[in-house]
Amino acid sequence: MALPLPLGLTHSEVAFLAEMELVTVVPRQRLESIDLLSGKTPPLRPPHRTDLPLWLALLLKKQRRANIVPPPWMHPASLADIVHRETKVHPQAFSEPMPTASRARQSEPGYAGRIGGSGDNNSGEVILSPPFQSNCTSAAPAGYLPYHWLEVAEALVTHASDDLGGNTSEIRGLLRDLVEVRAAKMRDSAETLGAEGQGGVVSLRGVGAMELAENRGFVLGVVDGVRKIGGAVETARREREEEMDLGGGEGGRGGYGGDGDSDDDMGI
Amino acid sequence: MPMYGDQGNKLVQHAKRMQNLAHLPPYQTELVRAVTREVRDLDKDVASLLEPFQGSFDPSADQSTACTLLVNHLSMRRNKRCLLAYHRTRTDKLEELVWNGSDVLDLAGQQAGGGANGATAAADSGASSSSLSPQEEDYVRQYGDLLAAYKGQWTDIDLTGSLEPPRDLFIDVRVLKDAGEIQTEYGAINLTKNSQFYVRQGDVERLIAQGYLQKLG
Amino acid sequence: MSYYDIDAILTDAEKIPCTFQLDIPDLGYLDNTPNQPLKAGTKVSLPLWLAEMLVIANTGGPDNKTFVTFDLPRALGNDVVQALKADPRAVPLRDQSAHFYGLATHMMDLSEEQELGSVLRKTFVTRAAEISLHARKVGGVSAKGKGKEEGSNLGIGGAGEEFLRGLDEWERKLFRKAHDGAKSGKEWMESIKKN
Repeated sequence: MALPLPLGLTHSEVAFLAEMELVTVVPRQRLESIDLLSGKTPPLRPPHRTDLPLWLALLLKKQRRANIVPPPWMHPASLADIVHRETKVHPQAFSEPMPTASRARQSEPGYAGRIGGSGDNNSGEVILSPPFQSNCTSAAPAGYLPYHWLEVAEALVTHASDDLGGNTSEIRGLLRDLVEVRAAKMRDSAETLGAEGQGGVVSLRGVGAMELAENRGFVLGVVDGVRKIGGAVETARREREEEMDLGGGEGGRGGYGGDGDSDDDMGI
Repeated sequence: MPMYGDQGNKLVQHAKRMQNLAHLPPYQTELVRAVTREVRDLDKDVASLLEPFQGSFDPSADQSTACTLLVNHLSMRRNKRCLLAYHRTRTDKLEELVWNGSDVLDLAGQQAGGGANGATAAADSGASSSSLSPQEEDYVRQYGDLLAAYKGQWTDIDLTGSLEPPRDLFIDVRVLKDAGEIQTEYGAINLTKNSQFYVRQGDVERLIAQGYLQKLG
Repeated sequence: MSYYDIDAILTDAEKIPCTFQLDIPDLGYLDNTPNQPLKAGTKVSLPLWLAEMLVIANTGGPDNKTFVTFDLPRALGNDVVQALKADPRAVPLRDQSAHFYGLATHMMDLSEEQELGSVLRKTFVTRAAEISLHARKVGGVSAKGKGKEEGSNLGIGGAGEEFLRGLDEWERKLFRKAHDGAKSGKEWMESIKKN
């Protein structure tokens, strides 16, 4: 009972974690390396670009000691392309997440292989995933939304708008469009849960951290409700199946017995 | 026509309302008493129904008595569940208040004191002025001790501290009530009313929660 | 569902129509006639916590009867089911029962109602999407308005208000979750600017 927070990460926790994402800065002043818990930051030497955690980049930005290079996916053309895909190409699904360093091969299920990178080398190089993989630096690919897309984009639009090449209002508008169209998809996903024969599974592939924080309670509530409504029907169906398939499966519980027992059960 | 279980249901409705309140409403002494009385009455009924059979009751031979016994039994079981759920909901709430650092016992007294005939009631007897039952007051006291002992094992981390990730290490605060002198990493600060300070958030979190300080901007 | 679950306990207080199958001298009070025996064939509305056991308990007699038989409550009757099939959003479920889905799942446990199950599932998810829509709107109003929590439920007009009034307990919980999510999203957005 001690933890009063809802299940999963809250908005402020997600925002805090997002500040660990690396972004690219162009320093305007020299700054020696800082020894942080997470490791040493690279020394800053104008005008050489360097990758820093977002929180530090924002701090330096506010102190006018660095400029932030927006990640390529935040460019208006990239965002417009994603909006187009979300609305016209795949109006039912969320757009593909940013490719990670390793990803299961579609052709060989269960076998993970590297995408991009230098192919099949065994150089012992560590394969990174976010937040240690750079999804928000200037080296990230365009046309994909990373896991922390909304948090990073909002932070840059708000605190580094002069680094966005005069596109701030356009970017802001495109971000709003994305938020709206994806929220509508999340809502509709509830309805697909009710369709018979769909297995009741909604694909959340490509959904960002902030979107998950916002919808976790609602989506889990819908899943739980559908499960409870289907529970009685499901038990009956399973019992019929078990009668046919003698000896197979686990012991089913009677439709009544399952719930009625809880009346006696004072367990927590 | 009142039925067995109706009183218990009222108790659970109280519990339901309580879930959305910030404070703890008064303990329903009368209702709790009524429900327990109902259980005792039902138990007496069962005993007198079974008495003629001298311990050799056969349900299939006397179905209507069997049905009455079942109804009585279910009513008692229902009442028990209502009673336990009501008290459990209240203790959950009490534990929450203790974790939040509110002075539950003090708070309970104040609320009752502010009531319609609060002044006279409070003067009458200390026990009846509280919204907690005497058992609950005891529970809160002991739970508070337990929590303090648990927290005491860690000196550099506050288990009941804020769960919000910090935005800034340092914050501006205004002093609402005199809080005396506190020690910080950067020396002592004297917190007198209406003064303002720029302090490390971790140093004053507790005082903010207790209402001595107000976080600015 | 836990033993201490307040909503489960309140759901168990919902009444369903039952018919007694034998005379019982001491239970006249259930039919408002405490001094007379309860006759076989008498129809009485009993709360689930009582009915559920009487319906399945065997009398132990040679004919293997149960003490009581039951019918579907009116909240789950044909009229309501037909209305839900036509448009789930147009039915104020709360008017049928504050614990509509809870009552329904209990009834489905007691008797196999295949059709009811699929109608309810469709009803629940269709209304859930609508709930989510309203929750977002309400969240927006409260954030843009005075920023006060109290106003959060007052900002929706007309049809929306009517729909929300008709939510049953399960749906109210869902609304609160969706609303909390939208609200803390808004709060986060605003906090960026402050920092």
